[in-house]
Amino acid sequence: MAGGSSSSFSSSSSSSQCLSYAGCNFLRQRLVLATLSGRPLKIRKIRAREEDPGLRDFEASFIRLIDKVTNGSRIEINQTGTTLYYQPGLLYGGSLEHDCSPSRSIGYYLESLLCLAPFMKHPLKIVLRGVTNDQVDPSVDNLKATALPLLKKFGIDGEGLEIKINRRGMPPKGGGEILFACPVRKVLQPIQFTDPGKIKRIRGTAYSVRVSPQMANRMVESARGILNKFLPDIYIYTDHMKGVSSGKSPGFGMCLIAETINGTFLSAELASNPQGQGAAVLPEELGQNCAKLLLEEIYRGGCVDSTNQSLALLLMTLGQQDVSKVLLGPLSPYTIEFLRHLRSFFQIMFKIETKSPEEEHKGGEKVLMTCVGIGFSNLSKTIR
Amino acid sequence: EMRSQLSARSLKKKTVLTTDSGNCTAEEASESEVESLDEGGDEEQSHDDLEAEVSNQKQFQQTWIKKADSRRQNKLEAVEAEADDDIENLLREEEEYEEKIDFSADTAGALKWKEDLTQKAAQAFLRQQQSTPNLRKLVYGTVIEDNEHE
Repeated sequence: MAGGSSSSFSSSSSSSQCLSYAGCNFLRQRLVLATLSGRPLKIRKIRAREEDPGLRDFEASFIRLIDKVTNGSRIEINQTGTTLYYQPGLLYGGSLEHDCSPSRSIGYYLESLLCLAPFMKHPLKIVLRGVTNDQVDPSVDNLKATALPLLKKFGIDGEGLEIKINRRGMPPKGGGEILFACPVRKVLQPIQFTDPGKIKRIRGTAYSVRVSPQMANRMVESARGILNKFLPDIYIYTDHMKGVSSGKSPGFGMCLIAETINGTFLSAELASNPQGQGAAVLPEELGQNCAKLLLEEIYRGGCVDSTNQSLALLLMTLGQQDVSKVLLGPLSPYTIEFLRHLRSFFQIMFKIETKSPEEEHKGGEKVLMTCVGIGFSNLSKTIR
Repeated sequence: EMRSQLSARSLKKKTVLTTDSGNCTAEEASESEVESLDEGGDEEQSHDDLEAEVSNQKQFQQTWIKKADSRRQNKLEAVEAEADDDIENLLREEEEYEEKIDFSADTAGALKWKEDLTQKAAQAFLRQQQSTPNLRKLVYGTVIEDNEHE
């Protein structure tokens, strides 16, 4: 069996030449797409001109994670860490665990795992340790609330799909732990998702660790003060973790999710400044700002919220050979680069049309993305 | 009598302004021009020859200082209210002169593009905002046509 898989792998790599890039940007995108397309990848000049050249610790940790979930990958990094060569192996999956670098949150790693997990040989069940919520990356709460419903739309569902926060960890020291499990599918369903519909309810989580439990209530109070003017169905959970589950650093924050009648989830989130960095943030202020961010996200709208745009586009690309359509808000710079990468790795281009909302009070301009899937089927999955 | 003097000066100012090289401010030029005309008016020379211009400028400056001194003396003699009047008159003259420039559209159409510049800019901005950009081109660049044919 091993011989069979390696031969199919070598044939796919010989048919496609190595893709070469320069610079440290979009490292995750490139590694993920290289893994899915089976094309080798070379990245040069990674921070070559900086005082501290080469890959950062969180990037090294990410590469180790990719190595863990695949089987037979070849990764070569030069002495200074400025050049990376990656020849992808098979997505293997299984039960794993990984210590993420605390300089980025678990969301940084989880975002990419969400792209890879449906295409594993064995269902992925991975424990990730590190920072669960920070100010940079989408938090685990956010991905749990928005990315999982999106995967379900593509037919990746069932009991096996879950994200569970066992322990919460705030920067700088982290100490959080989550479990991510995802079933595998042979093919993905194409989607026709062009009408988000109206907002039905707002849910959210206000969390606090190693600070007064009252912080969460204060955030909820101020966020509700803004959102209650628009609709009555608001419930924001307060989540105060204690003891071992509270990680190593104090902090608090909030994640708000607006759900529409057609099953679109739009999210916004904010976290307090890490201990010892920046001024102390008032929970009232944070709650208010987070509510305003959610309103902004709703204005931008679309059927997929801005953090998950690229995930939706990837799953559309890898779907069956059928037309997929999705209505998005304004494309984020990350998504635009992702589209370019999709073209270089999969030779697929989207039809991109701008749509101005025909009615008033329907938010800003939207973008309708259309593509035909490449008919990617999960070769690694064993057929029973 | 004062007024007639001033109006004469303003007329001269006009002539000077149209030929101003931009080296001096309007006021300096006007003052100097009066002086240079008094001295015999080597205007053309000054414009032809750069060195001459520089020397002229020196002259102008000197005469200007002289003028200022004389004016100061006058002011000392005159009542303050009168001085105010003087300044007001000067200002009025300037206004008049501006208007005259606007109306004297001898160079018809030559400077028409300068009209309503801010309004035009605002309109152009709005047009650009409203026009739907070709997102596909922005994302994928110019190779788009080639790929579609393949």
